Amino acid sequence: MQITTSPTPAVPSRPASGLLSFWRSFSRSRTGLIGFWMLVIAIFVAVFAPLLAPYERGASTSVQIDDIYQPPSSAHWFGTDDAGQDVLTNFIYGARVSLTVGFFAAFISIVIGGVFGLVAGFFGGRWENFLMRFTDIMLVIPDLPLTVVIVALTKPSLWNIIFVIGILGWTTTARVVRSQTLAVKSRKFVLRARAIGASKFHILVQHILPLVLPILVVQAVLAISLAILNESTLSFIGLGDPSAPSWGQMLNFAFGRGAMSVGAWWALVVPGFGIVWVVLSLTLLGQGLEQVLNPRLDTHHLMAGRPVVQKEAGAKPIQSDVLLEVQNLSIHYVGEGKAPARAVENISFTLREGELIGLVGESGCGKTTLMLALLKLLPSAGQIANGKVFYNGNDLTVMDEEEINKIRWSNISIVFQGAMNALNPVRTVGEQIGEAILKHEPSFPKDKLNARVSELLELVGIASDHREHFPHQYSGGMRQRAMIAMALACNPKVIIADEPTTALDVMIQAQILELLDTLRKKLGLAVIFVTHDLGVVAELCDKVLVMYGGVTAEYAEVDVIYNEPKHPYTQELLKAFPDLTKPKKKLSSIPGYPPRLDNLPAGCRFAPRCPAAFERCHTDEPALHAPQKDHIVGCHLAEASK
Amino acid sequence: MMNTSTEKFLEIRGLKKYFEAGRPSLFSRDTKHVHAVDGVSLTLRRSEVIALVGESGCGKSTLGLLLMGLEDPTEGTVIFEEQDITHLNDHQRKDLRRKIQMVFQDPYESLNPTQTIEEIVTEPLIVHGMGASQQEREERVKKAMEDAGLKPAEVYLSRYPHELSGGQRQRVVIAAALVLEPEIIIADEPVSMLDVSIRAEVINLLAELRISRQIAVIFITHDLGSVGFFADRVAVMYLGRIVEIGTMLEVLEKPQHPYTKALLSVIPVPNPRLRHERIILQGETPNPINIPTGCRFHPRCPVAIDACKLSDPAMTQLSKSHQAACLLVTNK
Repeated sequence: MQITTSPTPAVPSRPASGLLSFWRSFSRSRTGLIGFWMLVIAIFVAVFAPLLAPYERGASTSVQIDDIYQPPSSAHWFGTDDAGQDVLTNFIYGARVSLTVGFFAAFISIVIGGVFGLVAGFFGGRWENFLMRFTDIMLVIPDLPLTVVIVALTKPSLWNIIFVIGILGWTTTARVVRSQTLAVKSRKFVLRARAIGASKFHILVQHILPLVLPILVVQAVLAISLAILNESTLSFIGLGDPSAPSWGQMLNFAFGRGAMSVGAWWALVVPGFGIVWVVLSLTLLGQGLEQVLNPRLDTHHLMAGRPVVQKEAGAKPIQSDVLLEVQNLSIHYVGEGKAPARAVENISFTLREGELIGLVGESGCGKTTLMLALLKLLPSAGQIANGKVFYNGNDLTVMDEEEINKIRWSNISIVFQGAMNALNPVRTVGEQIGEAILKHEPSFPKDKLNARVSELLELVGIASDHREHFPHQYSGGMRQRAMIAMALACNPKVIIADEPTTALDVMIQAQILELLDTLRKKLGLAVIFVTHDLGVVAELCDKVLVMYGGVTAEYAEVDVIYNEPKHPYTQELLKAFPDLTKPKKKLSSIPGYPPRLDNLPAGCRFAPRCPAAFERCHTDEPALHAPQKDHIVGCHLAEASK
Repeated sequence: MMNTSTEKFLEIRGLKKYFEAGRPSLFSRDTKHVHAVDGVSLTLRRSEVIALVGESGCGKSTLGLLLMGLEDPTEGTVIFEEQDITHLNDHQRKDLRRKIQMVFQDPYESLNPTQTIEEIVTEPLIVHGMGASQQEREERVKKAMEDAGLKPAEVYLSRYPHELSGGQRQRVVIAAALVLEPEIIIADEPVSMLDVSIRAEVINLLAELRISRQIAVIFITHDLGSVGFFADRVAVMYLGRIVEIGTMLEVLEKPQHPYTKALLSVIPVPNPRLRHERIILQGETPNPINIPTGCRFHPRCPVAIDACKLSDPAMTQLSKSHQAACLLVTNK
C-alpha cells in the first residue's frame, strides 16, 4: 500500500479555487448563509467571552436579597438570576460550554458512525451483519434515559457528558453513511480500481471516502445541534457539570429556584434564546450544505419555466398540407451576467402527415433543446429568441400555457431519451398508460379504459396480458415499446422520438425501428426521429436534417444526404461509419470535438474541425444556401457551387 | 518480448459461471441458476484482437469479468502465459492485474468525479509501486496520456472528468490502463456510449496501440458493424456460449450460423439505396435461468427444424479457423 505518497483526494489539486467555488455555490442558498452567519456570531461570542461579558464569571454583585432576580436595567441589561449574578455574563459564558459540548460530542459520534457505516457498507457480509444489528439495538434503546443513567452513575463532569452524548449519538450517521457507501461502491469506477489491482484500503480511502464525505459533513452539522440539545436537557434535569454553567443549567436554576413564581421571565428567556439561536443556525446551515453537497436535491434547473417570447409579426405558414412547420427557430440560453449561449440558431424544417424526418447531430448540438422548444418545455433559462413553430397553421410559440397544454400529448407527443427507465416501478405498466390517457382526456369512460390500454399495447407489439405486469418484469425493449404506447395514448398526429434506441442492442433497435415504421404507415403518424447515428435513420426516413453546434449543416431528402452530401460535416460523418462491404477499410474520424455552446468559434461553427475550411470560414458565419430545390446547406462552399 | 503471433498466451477452457438466482419456492430444494457463461473455450494470441459479439444477456461482459478475476468461475480453467490463473486471490493476482487491463463501457461512470485526470492516471502506478521517483511517474503518465491521444498531456492533467467530453474521458480510461504497460486490454463496449463521430476515433486508437505496443485486445460489443477493420477474429456469443467463431472476413462475409446472419442483417447501412432484407429476430434473448432444450437458439431461429429442439449442436469445423455450432451447418 503506497497511499502515503498520493495527495488526499478530497482536496482537489487546486484547493483555492475548489474552496472558492464551493463558497460561491453555497452562498447561493439563502438559508445556508443565514445559518452560517448566525453560527459565526455564536462562535464569536463564545471565543471572546471574557472581553464581551460585562462582569466577571460567577461574580455576584452582592449577596443581598434585593439583588436576586433584578429586572433588566442599565447595570444588568438582562437582569440578574437567583444568585444575584448577571444573566448576560452567564449567557455569554454559557455559549462556551454549549458549543464545546456540541462540537466535541458531535466529533465522537461522527467518527464512530462514519467508521461503522463505511466498514459495514464496504466490506458487507459478517461485518455488516454485526455492525448493523448493533446499530439497530442502539436505536431501539431510548437515548435520553440511557444518557441519564450513565451520567448519573458517573461523575457529571463536562467531559463525561461530552463522552456519553458522543457515544450514544452515532446511530443515524452510521446508517446514512452505510447506504451512501453502498451506492458509491456499486459505481463503475470502483470496479475499475479493483481491476487495476488496488487494495481494499486504497479503494476505501481514495474512492469511497471522498464521495461519502459530503454526507458526513451534513451529518456532522446535525449531530452538533443534537448534542447541544441533549446537553441542555441533561443540565435542565440537574445532571450538568456544576463547574461549567451551560444554558441548560441556567434554565435549571431559574426553573428550580422560583423564577417563574416571581415573574423573572428574563432568567428563562435569555438562555432559551441561546439554545434556539444555535440549534436554528445549525439546522439552516445543514440545509444549505445539503443543497450544495447533495446534487440530487438540486432540481431547480429541471423545472419548466416559461420562455420569454419575442413576438414578431410577419411569417405565416406557407403550405396547407404541412402538419408542422418550423421557421427560423433560434433558442438562446441566458444566464445572469453572461452572454446568451446560442444553443439553436435559425433552424427550419417542415413535416407532412406520415412523414419521418431524421434529426441527426452529435450530443450537445442542440437537438434535444430544439425538440423541447417545439412543445415549450424548455428550462427557464432557455428562451425562444426568434422564429415560429406552426402546427396546423397555429403558431405554438405565442400560445400560453393553457393553449399549449391542449397540443401537448394529444397532438404532439414525445418519447424521451432513456424514458424507458422513467416508468414507476411500483405500479403496473397498464395503470401508468391508463393514467396518461385520463390526464389528457379526463372524460374518457372508465369502463373502456382497460380495453384502450390493451389496444395500445397490442399496437406496439406487447401481448395485452402484460398489462398487469410491473416494469421490472419487462425487458428494456418492451419498456421502450410501452413508452411508445404511452405516447400514442391520445392519438397524436406527431411523435417526437428522442434517441429512442440509443441504449438498446442492435436487434432490439431494429425491432423498435420496424415498429415506428409500421405505426406511421398504419396510423399516418408523422415522426421526428432524433439520433446521433446517421446509419439508423438511413433506412426509414424521408428527410434528414443534420445539425452541428446548434445550426443547420444540411437539410435534404434522404437520398441526397447519403449520396450527394454537400456539407463537409455530413461527408465526414458518413466516412466515420464502418462499411460492412469493405470491412478492411480504416475508419476515418473527425478530429477534435464539437464546440461548447457558451464558447462558439467565430465564423463557421464547424471550421475548426473542417478538412475543407479556408480563411473566410474562420471569420464569417455561413448563410444557408440552396444548391437545388429542397436542399439546404450551411457552408460557404455551397455558395460557390450554386 | 517479441514472440511469434501463433503462441497461445491466453487460453480459456470450458469456462462456466452460474449465478444463484434464488429458489423457485420456499419448499423447493434445488436452487435456480443463471447460466451467464455456459462453457466457453477460446484462445488468444499475443497482440491479437478478438471481438466478442452478442446481445445483452449473452454473457460477454461476465466473460470479461471472469478473465479479469473480478468474478470467480464456477467451472473451467484460464491459463495465462502457461500459468493457471482460474482461482487466484487478490494478492496472487496483483501482478496479473498489471498485465491484463480493462476498459469499461461508460466513461461517465468509470472515472471518480473527485479525482483530477493526473490523479486518475497516476493511481495505477502508485497501486503497483511502479516508477522509482515522482519525476519518472510523471513521465510515464504523460507518455500514456499522449499515446492515448490526450495531447499535450499538460492541458488535461489538472482537469476533472466532468470538464471533458465523452471521447476524452474514454481516452483517460485507456491512458490509465496503458500506464501499466499491459499485455491484454479487455474493452467492454468501449464505444457504445459515444457519438458515432467519436467511436471511430476510439476504435482507431485501440487498433494503433495493438500495433505500437503489441497489446492483445478482447473487444466486447453488441455491434458487429464496429468490429470490422481491426478485429483479427470474431466470436459470436448467444446465451452463454460461442455459436460461431472465425477470422473477421469469414464471419462478416461468409457467416454460417443463422444468429450471426441475423445480427449482420440488422446493422444499419448508411445508404438508403442499399436498403436490404433484414432478418429481425422476434422477442429477446431468453432468460438464462431456463436455457431452451436442444439448440439454445431454436426458439428464435428463423430456419429451425424439429431436430433443433432435441440435440444441442457441437461446433462444426468449417475451415482451419472457422467454426459454427448449428445442425444445419455442414463441413463441405
